[in-house]
Amino acid sequence: MKLTVNGIEQEIFSPPLTPLLHVLRDELDVTSPKAGCQQGGCGTCTVLIDGEPRRSCLTAVAAVDGSEITTLEGLGEPEQLSPVQAAFHERYAAQCGFCTPGMVVAATALIERKGGPVERDEVLEALGGHYCRCTGYVKIVDAVMAASRGQTGAREDEPETGEEAPVMIPGSPA
Amino acid sequence: MKAVGARLPRYDGLGHVTGRTQFVDDVRVGRTLWVKALRSPHHHAAITSMETSKAEKLKGVHAIVTCADVPKNVYGHLEALGVPADEPLLADGEVRYKGQPIAAVAAESEEAARAAVEAIEISFEEREPLFDIRKALDGEAPQIHQWGNVYPHYGPYNHRRVRKGDIEWAFENADAIVEGVYRPQAIEQMPMETQVALAVPEASGRLTIYSCTQAMYFSMGVVAAHLQVPLNKLKFIGGTVGGGFGGKVDTAADTVCALLALKSRRPVKWRWTREEEFLASSTRAPWHIEIADAVTNDGWILGRRMLTLHDSGAYSRFSPYGVTKHAFHHTGAYTIPNLRFDGFVVYTNRVPTTAMRGFGVTSVSFAVETHLTRVAHAIGMDPWQLRLKNANRIGDTSGNGVAMKDPSTVPVTLAAAERVGVELPAEFRQMTPEPRSGDLLPEHLREQQRLNGEDS
Repeated sequence: MKLTVNGIEQEIFSPPLTPLLHVLRDELDVTSPKAGCQQGGCGTCTVLIDGEPRRSCLTAVAAVDGSEITTLEGLGEPEQLSPVQAAFHERYAAQCGFCTPGMVVAATALIERKGGPVERDEVLEALGGHYCRCTGYVKIVDAVMAASRGQTGAREDEPETGEEAPVMIPGSPA
Repeated sequence: MKAVGARLPRYDGLGHVTGRTQFVDDVRVGRTLWVKALRSPHHHAAITSMETSKAEKLKGVHAIVTCADVPKNVYGHLEALGVPADEPLLADGEVRYKGQPIAAVAAESEEAARAAVEAIEISFEEREPLFDIRKALDGEAPQIHQWGNVYPHYGPYNHRRVRKGDIEWAFENADAIVEGVYRPQAIEQMPMETQVALAVPEASGRLTIYSCTQAMYFSMGVVAAHLQVPLNKLKFIGGTVGGGFGGKVDTAADTVCALLALKSRRPVKWRWTREEEFLASSTRAPWHIEIADAVTNDGWILGRRMLTLHDSGAYSRFSPYGVTKHAFHHTGAYTIPNLRFDGFVVYTNRVPTTAMRGFGVTSVSFAVETHLTRVAHAIGMDPWQLRLKNANRIGDTSGNGVAMKDPSTVPVTLAAAERVGVELPAEFRQMTPEPRSGDLLPEHLREQQRLNGEDS
């Protein structure tokens, strides 16, 4: 069996029914897809198979023989972030970071499919199968919408430094 | 002030968004063995026999540990505070909750480890389980803990007490007594990263432990205590936690990995399944909270009687500490001069309960705030005004006798009212945290002011 993983062709030696997740993590040392639940429930193992977001934990490797696999590592480098990666970083959409691999990959596929600005309900639909326990999802949804609009880089809606007076509670004894 | 209010990048943010962050499960060490545990299938049972020899002979199995392999099997989180140990790392003779670890296997693969767990021969004699904390003190309730069904080590008492003022006077002089029962339920912390550890024996004789703990030095102490080794034999690597929310304060996987690494002389990894996380890992405690408030028709809370039962599950862990925090917060952010609080740590055959986001306090805050609104409705008073009238002021004393120096109840309540568009009469809008005077210093609150004056 062969897979092209993040642009590099790999020969695969795992048994054919091995979940793609284990092939990536344990045979190829590609560790961004996580074993969050291993039953298709949490979304953090999501990778792109020929551009489509799929649960790698429920995908037998033989079923995707010859496919192109893209994981979070393949979307961008720390020095050259993809728009979704940049938006997640700038807008604090990654907190503990464990769900981030699936979130960013699925959001990237959504934006590519739409080819332009995505709306809130479209984000909720596309990321509906992805759990996050830290953020409450608000920052994640905002980041995906911003990325689809090219709103990355310097942000004008927030102060760059802390020189503005903090907002005090009225009557605060502080 | 470069940082406050500034939008600074997270120090680990680039790693997170590019998939470069290395969580424990992402650490690659050659020749790593997989761990699987034999867990109790019963809520409460005696272990009548256990035999591991068949499992040990299976292909790919390198080590099996049971309670006999643990230098110090029974440990308690609060031993340093004088609370005796009560929880075995691996069950010894009996099991007190479903999912309790009994033995653990290290093998070449996950499948081989699972097969070995299934090959361990074990028999049980089931006992009646106890799940309802309200029945724990009934004469016929099953006895589930060596200390009985209630934690007994609060000084001379078997419960955490708060006594303040004259509770009998408060209830005799009340216009109304408002009662409520509140039962916040157990919650699984459910981090996206399940419990996981990797222990690597080094040539130097030390053990390197990759841990997802929220409390590094605490976990070092736990592992060192169970293994009976000095801390300098352990090197912990952690700080990258895939969500914890309190569930990774207790040490879950580190110690068993350390034991198996020492026994097999191989690196070993234990990654809990999602099922194990839900069925066998600790949860937030469920509680049973009863409140009776002695109140006047014009909105003073003269006194509060309160009973709290905290479901500790099968072992103590941090529950005695959780109930102490609960006790200190049982008046909320309000001043009640006469108090009688009793909080019990009750053992049941649930998974042991532990920290989760405001351990011990969220439960009591839920109960107190819900109850205040109930009080307001009972006497026909606006709930905001009731809260502001009884809000902590400078010079008020808390339930456990601490004099307030900078209470924030008044400004925070006023700010909350403003944000949600609640209009309050001028006398409430103009309130401050300053010491009580005039109408806000009735006779029943003068005593504490006088005592403060004498104390200071």
